[in-house]
Amino acid sequence: MDYIDPHIHMVSRTTDDYETLARMGCVAMSEPAFWAGFDRGSVDSFRDYFRQLTQFEPKRAAQFGIKHYTWLCINAKEAENVSLSREVIAMIPEFLTAPNVLGIGEIGLNKNTKNESTIFLEHVELAVKYQQQILIHTPHLEDKYQGTRMILDMLMHDTRVDRSRVLVDHVEEHTIEAVLENGFWAGMTLYPVTKCTPQRAADMIERYGPERLMANSAGDWGPSKPTAIPDLIMELKRRGHTREQIHRVVYENPRRFFAQSSNFRTHDLP
Amino acid sequence: MSTNPEPRSAEQILAEEFLLARSRVLDLAAFLDRLERAQGSTEHATQMQLLSQGLNILCDGEPEKARRVQLLMSREYDPAWRKNYGLH
Repeated sequence: MDYIDPHIHMVSRTTDDYETLARMGCVAMSEPAFWAGFDRGSVDSFRDYFRQLTQFEPKRAAQFGIKHYTWLCINAKEAENVSLSREVIAMIPEFLTAPNVLGIGEIGLNKNTKNESTIFLEHVELAVKYQQQILIHTPHLEDKYQGTRMILDMLMHDTRVDRSRVLVDHVEEHTIEAVLENGFWAGMTLYPVTKCTPQRAADMIERYGPERLMANSAGDWGPSKPTAIPDLIMELKRRGHTREQIHRVVYENPRRFFAQSSNFRTHDLP
Repeated sequence: MSTNPEPRSAEQILAEEFLLARSRVLDLAAFLDRLERAQGSTEHATQMQLLSQGLNILCDGEPEKARRVQLLMSREYDPAWRKNYGLH
């Protein structure tokens, strides 16, 4: 089955992974900017990273017929460095006209600090100013509930934010309801240990329905599985979901969400 | 388009998923055995208290178990956080 992975960090994956994903049915993906495993020291490090995301990765993906899109930001973990964050935010507009940029992301919180919140709000300001879509990272483990509520509070406090153009990622059982009932899109991240298993994601699809809901692998350099979406497809098939029902979550929903960006080319998809 | 397939019965879910649930109970049991055999004590560790409370949720006969376990393992949200941080 053709599918779209709306959140995967291909800079940390091999070219063989691209080939495997293509064989598994992946036709498009989006790659949010994230933490590299170490804190970068200057704005030029981010400029080079954004060149990688907007120039190199689309070519690598294209070798296997996969459309590669991206989102730009300084991630929440490095947002503790407020001065560097502001330099990066000021530089991001250089890349917003690149043909594979869908918006600002993955912005969010990590440890739910004041500095992270300040930089989150400044990213939202950037997105509003340039009419960009937003992709949100919600924190891990014990910080997730508190951080997700803080993020929703900030977004709902700003009446300029169009909630139908915001994807809140890494939702789990205790955060999904608040995200969906307030009109945002929600993404479930399928991770082997933390976050969500294919079985629990299938439970949430059955419970909340497919409206504004999608799934991703968030494959990166840590313990993660880039082919996690096919695992979810298998689980949904096992439970008796029809091909159309599954296709809506793993293909139609990300396509509809991405299509709100002028850079997304629907006609390029199968 | 309907959201879900014909719902599986409780009997069907149990038949299909019992072995998976059984293996996870055994993993947890073996983890607790491993702790008991090891040197030192974790009796008063916060993580052990959380696990113990989580196990109580599994057996309390009430719904929303996954959500309640998640909230048990979560930091609380303070609606006044913006004021506390001086953000407006």
